[in-house]
Amino acid sequence: MEEKELITLWKTYDKKLEDNLTLNKKNLEDITRIKVKSLLSSMKPIKIFAVVLGILWVIFVDSLVIDLFETANAFFLISAGLQAFIIKLAIGIYLYQIIIINRVNISDPILDTQIRIAKIKSTSIWVTKILFLQLPLWATFYLNKSIFENAGIYLYILISVKILLFTFASIWLYRNIKYENSNKKWFKLLFNGKEWTPIIKSLQMIEEIKVFRNEES
Amino acid sequence: MAVKRDTDFFHDLIEQNKGIIYKVANAYCKSEENRKDLIQEILIQIWLSIDKYDDQYKISTWMYRIALNVSISFYRKERKRDEINNPIPDNIYYLSDENLETESTELTLLKRFIRELKELDRAVIILYLEENSYKEIADILGLSVTNVATKVGRIKQQLKKKFEEKKDLI
Repeated sequence: MEEKELITLWKTYDKKLEDNLTLNKKNLEDITRIKVKSLLSSMKPIKIFAVVLGILWVIFVDSLVIDLFETANAFFLISAGLQAFIIKLAIGIYLYQIIIINRVNISDPILDTQIRIAKIKSTSIWVTKILFLQLPLWATFYLNKSIFENAGIYLYILISVKILLFTFASIWLYRNIKYENSNKKWFKLLFNGKEWTPIIKSLQMIEEIKVFRNEES
Repeated sequence: MAVKRDTDFFHDLIEQNKGIIYKVANAYCKSEENRKDLIQEILIQIWLSIDKYDDQYKISTWMYRIALNVSISFYRKERKRDEINNPIPDNIYYLSDENLETESTELTLLKRFIRELKELDRAVIILYLEENSYKEIADILGLSVTNVATKVGRIKQQLKKKFEEKKDLI
């Protein structure tokens, strides 16, 4: 199949469509009447909801830390403070996604638009990575002086092992949740669900666009 | 200069460029039912973007960008619009003669081979077969002209190889 033949062949397709493809004007007109938003705009409410919920949570935790600053023990104050900080980072990512949603123009060049859309979806994985960093804090916030004063050696070991395990898991997950590992079993198990499919695909799309842009003669 | 969102202008635009939308949708969606949804989605996005059209670009460049962007990224079967809350009209395009017997085996194969390409490669070859210049393809995709030339060459080789593998069918 030579170059000219491909174009000639495609022209026969054009001819077929020219002869046989008709528009239903009534149905086309209905398109202009229905109240629809762009599909990207429809992603906004859930992001805004997450930001609002996150802000409310952060206000609650920060107020608690401030109110109990004099009375609460250091484990609680540090754990709660760090947890609120992590949530603030996640809120930042959601705000970034909302900004990108507003910046996407569907009639912009394909690669620019595709990379923006893929980033909106793929940054959701960053929220998950960051939220995993909270893990050790859930093993430390309830600790206090009296637990240590009355604890035996076994309790010490148990608490230490739990904190170490949670810390290791959170750092390991933070470092390893990335596209390069998307084919691994643990990754598939962790992100097994319909809601994760477009996110994993968007990571793939970002990689494809990188390769696509770099392909030169 | 932007264009006013006007129903008559929209009708003329779609009528004059109906082939573009159909061919792009057909390259990204094999099943008739899904293709119908994709075409509707492309038309909705064109209607919603019409007042943002910038006449420094050719209208076909603008339409290819929307049709390809929607086809590559927006269309997901599970994300079909809620048909109860947003009733969408029935078929907008009718192909009166979709009978394969009227289509050459080569064309059927070419359409199939194009569907087998990666999403971005598919966009390149459709634009090439539509006889857009490398400069126009580069504008639509957001790539350099050299990069487009490299890709077109590579994809043509891929198609050629596929045709050779199936030459006993032709």
